[in-house]
Amino acid sequence: MHEASLAVGMLEKITEIAKKENAKKVLKVRVKIGKLSGVVVDSFKFAFDATKKEFLFTENAVLEIEEVPAVYRCFDCGKKFETETAYFPECPECKSLNVTILSGEELQVVDLEIDV
Amino acid sequence: MCDVCGCGADSHDHSHGNVKTVKLEESLFKENDRLAQENRKHFDGKNLLAVNLISSPGSGKTSLLEKTIELLKSRYTIGVLEGDIETERDADRVRAKGAYAIQLTTGGACHLEAGLVHKGFHSLEHQLKEGEDLDVLFIENVGNLVCPTSFDLGEHVRVVLVSVPEGPDKPAKYPKAFRTADVFIISKIDLLPHFDFDLEKVKKEALSLNPKLKVFTLSTVSGEGMDEWISYVEELIKNKKGL
Repeated sequence: MHEASLAVGMLEKITEIAKKENAKKVLKVRVKIGKLSGVVVDSFKFAFDATKKEFLFTENAVLEIEEVPAVYRCFDCGKKFETETAYFPECPECKSLNVTILSGEELQVVDLEIDV
Repeated sequence: MCDVCGCGADSHDHSHGNVKTVKLEESLFKENDRLAQENRKHFDGKNLLAVNLISSPGSGKTSLLEKTIELLKSRYTIGVLEGDIETERDADRVRAKGAYAIQLTTGGACHLEAGLVHKGFHSLEHQLKEGEDLDVLFIENVGNLVCPTSFDLGEHVRVVLVSVPEGPDKPAKYPKAFRTADVFIISKIDLLPHFDFDLEKVKKEALSLNPKLKVFTLSTVSGEGMDEWISYVEELIKNKKGL
């Protein structure tokens, strides 16, 4: 459950920014979570909602999550592909396991909507 | 539903007068990564090798450390940061073998973070005798193959450990641990005759996740494979010292 410490870290950062921006409150937080980030979306949501009231500005903040799929490129044949099996990604074209991750490892706060 | 903030409430008290979007596009690991980078710089400045040990509970991380300390202590000064949710037990065990040790109790958290390692390292340095410097720091993470893999501690080498009794499916079930590691140790190989554990298949699976993994198979009980592991660590220590 490292989602809890990540959510709290994010709320601390948000509080800092909201203060700097002289916000009345934070309305929305947009986050990108990749399929390969090791973060469980539901746990992260739960942690955010359970702790947001402990911080200034975020009591009613809404968390919006964009899930980023796991996309790979095959080194052998160049094929770009998306797969559900996150970790033994086999190229659907040539069956090679020699692949690189293009996206899916993201864990990022995209932006905040604040009421000023 | 409110179409400004999309909060789903029919009525609420926030004003829609001045809504501002603040762009961040910042990783949630940014602060940890920054502190980890600082740790690494600090370790480099002291020509000290830092090793992060990750495994599930009961894989033999502490036993491996005990044996490693025994075999290295005549030539090197060794520090250990022991990550656990509770208790001083592991720190006591490695201290008894001749290492300097600090127990980092996370009080419930399932992983170590760079900030805690920073604090722990400074407490560890206070234990050193005048003029003494550490040559190697082992950081034993909290027993867990999931969360610790996401947090850089500033280590130079990350080791993932799996013991024979745990079964052969760890690489398939916890792929991120293997993708982010530099070294894969299969421990308790003296128990191979009693378990259905296909060593070659497990190695192959781990290497297909991460072709750069350096694999060791060893037993702290029979001593098998310990020489290779110790030579490897010693080589890394010497490299750090520029020897």
